[in-house]
Amino acid sequence: MEAGGASGGQWVPRGPGPGPSLPALLSQLPSSATVRYRGPGIPPWGAPEPCLEQSGQGHQARGKAAPATSPEEPPESQALRELPWPMEAKRYLWKRQGDRPTKQVVGMRGSKGALLLGRAWAPLAGIPKMLEPWRTTLMKIGGQYGAGTESYFRLLRFLLGLNILGALFQGALTLLPLFLLGPLPQPPSPGVSQPCGSYDPRPGGLVDYPTLLTNLLSGEGHLEWSPLFYGFYPVQLRGGTFQLPLAYLLSTFVSGLLCLLLILRRSVSGLKQTLLSESGALTSYSHRIFSAWDFRLQGAGPAELRRRALRYELQVELEEAAARKSAEARSRGQWAALWGARTLLNLLMLALLGAAFYGIYWATDPDGRLQNDPVVQEVPILKLLVAYLPSIFMSGANLILPPVLGLLTGLEGYTRSRQVQLILLRWTVFLRLASLVVLLGSLWKQITCGGNPEAEACATCGYAYRELPCWETRLGQEMYKLLLFDLLTCLAVPLLVQFPRKLLGSMCGGPLGRLLGTLEFQVPDEVLGLVYGQTLVWVGGFYCPLLALLNTAKFLLLFYLKRFTLFTFFSPASRTFRASTANFFFPLVLLLGLALSAVPVLYGIFVIPPSKLCGPFQGQVNIWASIPNAIQGLSQGVRDFLFSLGTLSFAVPLMLASSILMVYTLTLASSYGRLVSTLKGHIKMESESKVLLAKRIVELGGKNHDLH
Amino acid sequence: MGNKQTVFTPEQLDAYQDCTFFTRKEILKLFYRFQDLAPQLVPFDYTGKPDVKLPYEVICGMPELKDNPFRERIAQVFSQDGDGNMTLDDFLDMFSVMSEMAPRDLKAYYAFKIYDFNNDDYICPLDLEKTVTKLTRGELTPEEVGLVCEKVINEADVDNDGKLSLDDFQNMILHAPDFLRLCASTMKNAVDTDKNSTVCPQRILQSISTFHIRI
Repeated sequence: MEAGGASGGQWVPRGPGPGPSLPALLSQLPSSATVRYRGPGIPPWGAPEPCLEQSGQGHQARGKAAPATSPEEPPESQALRELPWPMEAKRYLWKRQGDRPTKQVVGMRGSKGALLLGRAWAPLAGIPKMLEPWRTTLMKIGGQYGAGTESYFRLLRFLLGLNILGALFQGALTLLPLFLLGPLPQPPSPGVSQPCGSYDPRPGGLVDYPTLLTNLLSGEGHLEWSPLFYGFYPVQLRGGTFQLPLAYLLSTFVSGLLCLLLILRRSVSGLKQTLLSESGALTSYSHRIFSAWDFRLQGAGPAELRRRALRYELQVELEEAAARKSAEARSRGQWAALWGARTLLNLLMLALLGAAFYGIYWATDPDGRLQNDPVVQEVPILKLLVAYLPSIFMSGANLILPPVLGLLTGLEGYTRSRQVQLILLRWTVFLRLASLVVLLGSLWKQITCGGNPEAEACATCGYAYRELPCWETRLGQEMYKLLLFDLLTCLAVPLLVQFPRKLLGSMCGGPLGRLLGTLEFQVPDEVLGLVYGQTLVWVGGFYCPLLALLNTAKFLLLFYLKRFTLFTFFSPASRTFRASTANFFFPLVLLLGLALSAVPVLYGIFVIPPSKLCGPFQGQVNIWASIPNAIQGLSQGVRDFLFSLGTLSFAVPLMLASSILMVYTLTLASSYGRLVSTLKGHIKMESESKVLLAKRIVELGGKNHDLH
Repeated sequence: MGNKQTVFTPEQLDAYQDCTFFTRKEILKLFYRFQDLAPQLVPFDYTGKPDVKLPYEVICGMPELKDNPFRERIAQVFSQDGDGNMTLDDFLDMFSVMSEMAPRDLKAYYAFKIYDFNNDDYICPLDLEKTVTKLTRGELTPEEVGLVCEKVINEADVDNDGKLSLDDFQNMILHAPDFLRLCASTMKNAVDTDKNSTVCPQRILQSISTFHIRI
C-alpha cells in the first residue's frame, strides 16, 4: 500500500495527472451522482467544496492520500468520517479545523437515531420469522446438501400446513357438530332387508388379536363404523338447524379451493422470485462473487455453509454455460444421433411403464378371482395380502422404476435442471399418479358395474348394492389402506434399503464400496412421493374425512424421519439444480395432483347415486342434490340468481371473457419481453458511447495541456 | 457517558468521535476489545499516544474475522504499512468503515482495495482468481475458476481494458438490485449467530449488502 510517508502530517498529494483522468471524468456523470446520493439535505459523498475539487477527485482516484495544501474550506465534519483516509490524516484535518465548532449535523444525528430505533425494532420484526417452524433445520440442510434437498423439505412443510388447514376445516364443519349436537348414529339393524340389500358394519363382539390388527390395517371391523369413514355420518342432527350434509359437501369444496389458492400463490411468488434472481440481466457472476461473502458470519459452521452454498450456485451456472456451449458445438450428425438415442430411450421407458400399468391392473383383481379363491378365504394373512395387492404392486413399481427411469433420462444429455423437470413431469408423474388412476378405475368398474346402469347388479339401486352396500366407505377404506401402506414403505425403505447399503459400503472397500455406500438424496422421486401422498388425501378426503388428520401425523413423522436419514446416511449432492425448478415446478406438479384428484371426487358427487343405507346423503338422487334442495329454502331473488349462475347464458360469456383476458395478458407479456430486450440493447450502446466520449475528452484535455 | 475514563484525553475522544462513526461509549468498547487481544502489549493509558502495533495474527484471530477468507487482506488494507500490523487508529478505522453507519460508497472503496491483492489500483484477472479461490476454498477446478473470472470481467469492465478500475467496481456493486440484498439479508439473519446484530432493512440498502462487521 502506498504509504504517503511517515507520520507527522506530511503527505505527498498524489493528485491527478494532466487534465482530468478517465475515472475522475466518469465519476462526474449524472449516473454516478445518483449512486452517491444519500438522502435529502445531505450533500452526496465526494461532493467537492469548490476549491477542493482537485483533492476531492484525488481521493477517489488514487490511494489514501490527503491534500496537504491549500484547503481554505476544509470539508465539513460530517464528511470527515466518510473520507477514505487513514486516521492520522483525518485527525490532522480535524485539528486544522481548529476551533470551528463541530456542529453535529442534524442529518447525521437523525440517522443515528433512526439506526437506534431500527435496532430496537428489528427483534420485533424478526418475530414472524421466528414463528416459522424448522427454520434453522432447513437452513442447515440447504447449506450442507444443496438447494434441491432444502426445497423438498420446504415443500413438506408447506404440505403439512395445507393438511392442518384441511383437517381443521373438515373437523370444524363435520366432526364438531356431530359430537356437540347430534346423537352418535347407530349402525342399521341387520335383520331388516330393504330393496337395496342390507348393510351390517357392526363389529362382531370380541375379536382375536390378528383379526384386530388386520382390521386396523384395512379399515374394517371397529373402524368401519367410526367417524373415520363416510358411512358413519347421519342425515340429520338433533335440532334440525345444522344441515350436516350441506356442511359435509361445502367443507370439501372450501378446503379444495383453499388448497388451490395457496398452491397458486406459492407457485407465483416462487416464479417471480426466481425470474428476477436468475435472469442473466440482473444477477451476474460479478454480483455473485463480490457480494458472496457475508462479512458478519462468525463461526466455522455458518462459514462452511456459506461457502458450500456459493459453490452450488456457481456450479449450476457453470454447468448451464458448458451445456449451452456444447449444444452450440454439436454438428448435425451428432444432433441426429442424440435425438435417435432420445427416441429409443423414450420408447424403452414407455414399454416399462406399460408393463407396470398392466401389472397394477391385474393386481386390482377386477374379476374378483383371487379374492374368491377358497384357499385365500381361509388364511387371514393371505386375505390381507390380496387386499393389499394393488398397493404392493404400486409401491414396488414406484420403488424400482424411478431410479431406472432416472438413469435413462441421464443418458439423454440435458442439464441437471432440465433433467429434473423431465424426470418429474414426464415419467414419474405418470407412473405415480396414473397408478392411482388405474386403481380408481377398477373400483369404479366394481361400483357401477362397468358404467352400465342397466346391468343386473346395478339396476335396482344404481350401484352394485350386493357387494358394496356402502360404496363410499369402501372407497374411503381403499384410500386409507394406500395411505398406511405409503407410510409403511417410507418407514421400511431406510431400514431395509439404505441402512444395509451403507453398511455394505463401509464393509467392502474400494470403488465398489464407495458406489454402494454413497447415497444421494433423489429429490424428484421424493417430491413425487409427497405429491402422491397428498393426492391420495385429496381423493379420499371426501370419503374418509379424518384422512387429512392422519396425513398430518404422517407428514410430521416423515419430516423427522427424512431429516434423520438425511443426516445419517446421505452424502452431500454432487450436482444440484436451479432454485427456479423447485420454486415454480414443484407447486405446479402439486396442482396437477389436485386437478387429477378433483375428477373422481366430482364424478362421485355428481354421477354415482349415494348409498341408500349409510351416510348423510341417503335417499338423494345424487350427492350434489343437497345443494339445490338447500337453495330452494332461500328467498326467491337469491334462488333465481343462483340458478342463473348455472345456466349457459352465464357460463358462455364468462368463458369468452376469460379467454379474452388470457389472450390480452399473453400479448402484454410478450410485448414486455420485446421491450426489455430492446432496452437492454440501448443500455449497452449508451454505455459504449459514454466511454468513447469520455476517452475523447481525456485525449483532448491531455492535448490541451500539452499545448499550454 | 461521564468523563470518568482515563484512557484518552477529551480532545482525543472528540477527534475519534468526529473521525469515525462511533459514539464515545463505542469507542471505549472498541478500545477494550483491542486491549483484550494483547493485554500485555496495550497500555491502559493512551493519553501519551503510545505507538503500539498488534501483530496481524492477533488481529486475524478475532472471532469476527477468524472465519473470513479475506481477513489477511482486511488487516493489510487497514494497516498503515500494509503489512497487517494494526495500531489502535487502524483498528478504529477498520471497524468504522465496516460498521452499519458507513455509507455504501465508502464501503465500496474499501471493498475494492481488499479485492485488489497486488495493490495496483485495478482488480486484474489474477486478483479475481485469488478472490474466487479464497471464496470456494479450492472446490472448483482451475478451468472453472478461469471461466468465472472471465465472465466477471466481461460483465463489469466498462472501459474495456481487461481489468476492473474503481469506477467499474463501484458502478457494478452499487447498482446491484435491491432485492438481492433483501434475499441475502434474510439468509444472513438466519445464519447470524450473534443475536444482536440484525440490521433494519433501510440500513442494508444503504450499505453494500454483505460488507460490514458489528462489534
